[in-house]
Amino acid sequence: MGRSSIVPKRESPAVVDHRRAAEAPAGTGVSGRGRGISGRSRLLSAWIDRYFSVLLVLPAVILIVLLSAYPLVYSLWVNVVNYDFQIPGHDFVGWQNFKDVVVDPVAATALINTIVLSSAVVALELVLGLLLAVAMVRPFRGRGIVMPIVIMPLFMSPAIVGQFWGLLLQRPFGPTDYVLSRLLGHPVTISWLTEAPWNYIAVVLADAWQWTPFMFVILLAGFTSISHELYEAGQLDGASPWHTFFRISLPLVAPILLLAVAFRLLDAVKLFDIIYIMTGGGPGTNTYTAAFYLYEKGFQEFHISQATAGSWIFLLLTIPVISVLVRRLLRPETA
Amino acid sequence: MSDGSGRDDREFHKGLSEEVDAWLRGEGSRRTFLTRLAQLIGGTALVGPAAALLSPDRASAAGPVNVELAPPDTPLGKAQAAAVEASTKGPTDGSAYRAVQAAKKLKGATLNVTYESGLQALEPKNYSGPQWQALTGIPQNVIELPHPDQYSKPIAEHIANSGAYDILDIEPAWIPSLANGGVIQPIDEFVGTYMNPADLDDYHPLYKFLPTFKGKRWGVFDDGDELCLYYRKDVIGDPKLQQAYKAKYGQALRVPQSWDEYSQVAQFITDQLAPNVYGTANFRKAGSPGNQFAFVQEFRANGGVFFDPQTMKAQLNSPAGLKTFQQMIAQNKASVPGNNDLDAVAQWVAWLQGKVAMIYSWPPTGRMSENYAQRSKSINFVPKSEIAGKVGYAPMPGGHGEMASGYVKSLAAGSKNAEAAYLFMQWVTSPPVSLARVMLPYTLRDPYRLSHYKSPLYRSLWPAAAEYLVTLNNSSNEAVLDMIMPGWQDYALSVDRMCTAVWAGQDPKAALQRAAGEWDAVTRKLGVEKQRDAYQQFMKLPGAYPDHTIATMGLSVKLT
Repeated sequence: MGRSSIVPKRESPAVVDHRRAAEAPAGTGVSGRGRGISGRSRLLSAWIDRYFSVLLVLPAVILIVLLSAYPLVYSLWVNVVNYDFQIPGHDFVGWQNFKDVVVDPVAATALINTIVLSSAVVALELVLGLLLAVAMVRPFRGRGIVMPIVIMPLFMSPAIVGQFWGLLLQRPFGPTDYVLSRLLGHPVTISWLTEAPWNYIAVVLADAWQWTPFMFVILLAGFTSISHELYEAGQLDGASPWHTFFRISLPLVAPILLLAVAFRLLDAVKLFDIIYIMTGGGPGTNTYTAAFYLYEKGFQEFHISQATAGSWIFLLLTIPVISVLVRRLLRPETA
Repeated sequence: MSDGSGRDDREFHKGLSEEVDAWLRGEGSRRTFLTRLAQLIGGTALVGPAAALLSPDRASAAGPVNVELAPPDTPLGKAQAAAVEASTKGPTDGSAYRAVQAAKKLKGATLNVTYESGLQALEPKNYSGPQWQALTGIPQNVIELPHPDQYSKPIAEHIANSGAYDILDIEPAWIPSLANGGVIQPIDEFVGTYMNPADLDDYHPLYKFLPTFKGKRWGVFDDGDELCLYYRKDVIGDPKLQQAYKAKYGQALRVPQSWDEYSQVAQFITDQLAPNVYGTANFRKAGSPGNQFAFVQEFRANGGVFFDPQTMKAQLNSPAGLKTFQQMIAQNKASVPGNNDLDAVAQWVAWLQGKVAMIYSWPPTGRMSENYAQRSKSINFVPKSEIAGKVGYAPMPGGHGEMASGYVKSLAAGSKNAEAAYLFMQWVTSPPVSLARVMLPYTLRDPYRLSHYKSPLYRSLWPAAAEYLVTLNNSSNEAVLDMIMPGWQDYALSVDRMCTAVWAGQDPKAALQRAAGEWDAVTRKLGVEKQRDAYQQFMKLPGAYPDHTIATMGLSVKLT
């Protein structure tokens, strides 16, 4: 029995109005107005019924059009004109902005640095995250305390992380060289932020410190979702822990591992905050990344067209990598 | 349009009944969903502005006025009292009085003022902002921006046409770019209407011309950032060191007169006294402006010129450029460990701890060295000075120190309160008010008016304050300027990259060549013809080159 059948029905003013309209003799003013209102209501109701799904999607569509599609199309125009804060007007320049980026040695350095640094940080974070996940997958005393501590860096702003590591590593007042000197028993005078390769190591360390927990959390979720029966079957077959890890755990966690790598890689190629805070792109253009280069061109020098062309080049270079990753991700579902 | 058929009626009744039933069951229908969504959006639209009106920021802008004043019997307290008197009682032809009287008629405006974040912003927050509000009823929002953003944010806001700012604190070297870009507006009419012309003559001649570009005035100068040499009198005057130096070099150990001598003295002190005391410390960190200021200063002292005035080809890759790098590398070698990681604050820390015998830096160094600044808890990020009473002041080696940055208050082109904003600019930089501001212990605003240098109140702040002020004045007579022309920001970034690349081991000649290429690219982008005109204008400014300074033009101000 439906609940509606036991609840005394209240008549809404619209219902009353509608009935009155039906009962009233034709030609009275009240009934005419009522019929008009009910007609409009029905029309509105029918219109809402027909377009309800569209109405729900509309705000999102408007937002996307305003915030993504319009700027994207606008940027196509900016690519081919001279949109530079210091140059009045927006003269058509064709491919010149793209040429400016392609021949700019700083852009090439930035691209190479982006590839090297993003590969390095993702690889390191993957290895460390995997080790942590394997270590933490089984309950142990104190896991509830260790877990939040490990995850904590994930919730920090990258700018704060950059500041924190910058202060730790900066010479002569940062404690790192002092601590290393005491530990190693001889003076350590490493310029972590201004000397290659230490500046790269510093950036990778800071990024890995923040984002290893991301890998760890995702991989831990992957490991915990593997059925215990598989491990028990493996044990019955006499599989060693090594074999169990490589033949059972790793293959089953592989799709989620790929997902984690894809997410991190997408983020790592945008490496900016830590560079901005810790090295300022220096020394020279030593630690310029693509994002830092584009920021410098767009928001420090205000060569907006050149920065936009650079962004498009960067996007076009990124698409194949991301496509491969996405295709790999989708493969298990379509198989 | 409905035809009123029975089917329509049945469907309508069915739908309505379902909707009423759902409502009675407490379930939302599409209609209620949409209604509530509309209510939510409407509510948010109302609540947002209401919350903004009640926000603490808004409350602070319009709330009770709390001016932080020094005790009235101190020099600063007396200067602050004199500023209020000049603003309320006159002289009636004074710029401060005129600005206040005119601004009282413009109540209702709130001024949005950009300031460098941190210490710089404390001054308008604690003193000049509340004082102005108390005098005129016009509050202000202080918008704190990191130094590079003081250039980029106003441009971004201008492109967005937001009208977010009324007054911009900018470097004089940015004026050509911002004026050409339409970000700032000229103030000549306001100056003609409200300012006492005598107040323009109270500026040191170096600073008087800085806010002008293309024959118009684009702001009022507000911060005398002259680099000077600060040295330890006890180290340089040490008899044992004097003797050892004489024995080694055959000349007296003295305050260095040239850049080569500076490196030599610094290295000698490091060799003799490190790790207790090093010869010098420089702020060479990438992205901090130390590299650009140091390089363009020494480059010109060595006879370098920025461009060929005809072709506008960059002249960085020259004997002067190489010599400058030789000298700077020698300075780095003689410096505290980690020299290339230092920013201005870290350099101050090393200096105040007594680890360094000589530094060149901005004028707050003199105040901090004597612990005048450390009376304020705001300066607790640097240690108390351990060298008070031991510090001497001198013009830069080579004689031509950089007027490194400085600040001009400019009127934003998009300001909706242009007149009120201008009046504040006039008041806050007027002689009596600006004196009280440059005397604030925590502020980083430095003396720039002749009345500041001569002020008995300022000269009484510490025993050697008069010597400090005279040195600032004398250095300004010989100073060289940042390159005040469009594209300076781009050229400066190139110099910073070039220097840090050399500190990291790149061959100086290759670095100079690459930077010159970058400069040429910037020049081409901005237009060779236009840049040539701008460079010609720059070269006319006193301080463009060592052979064209306030002193060589016969405009020197002599003070004792």
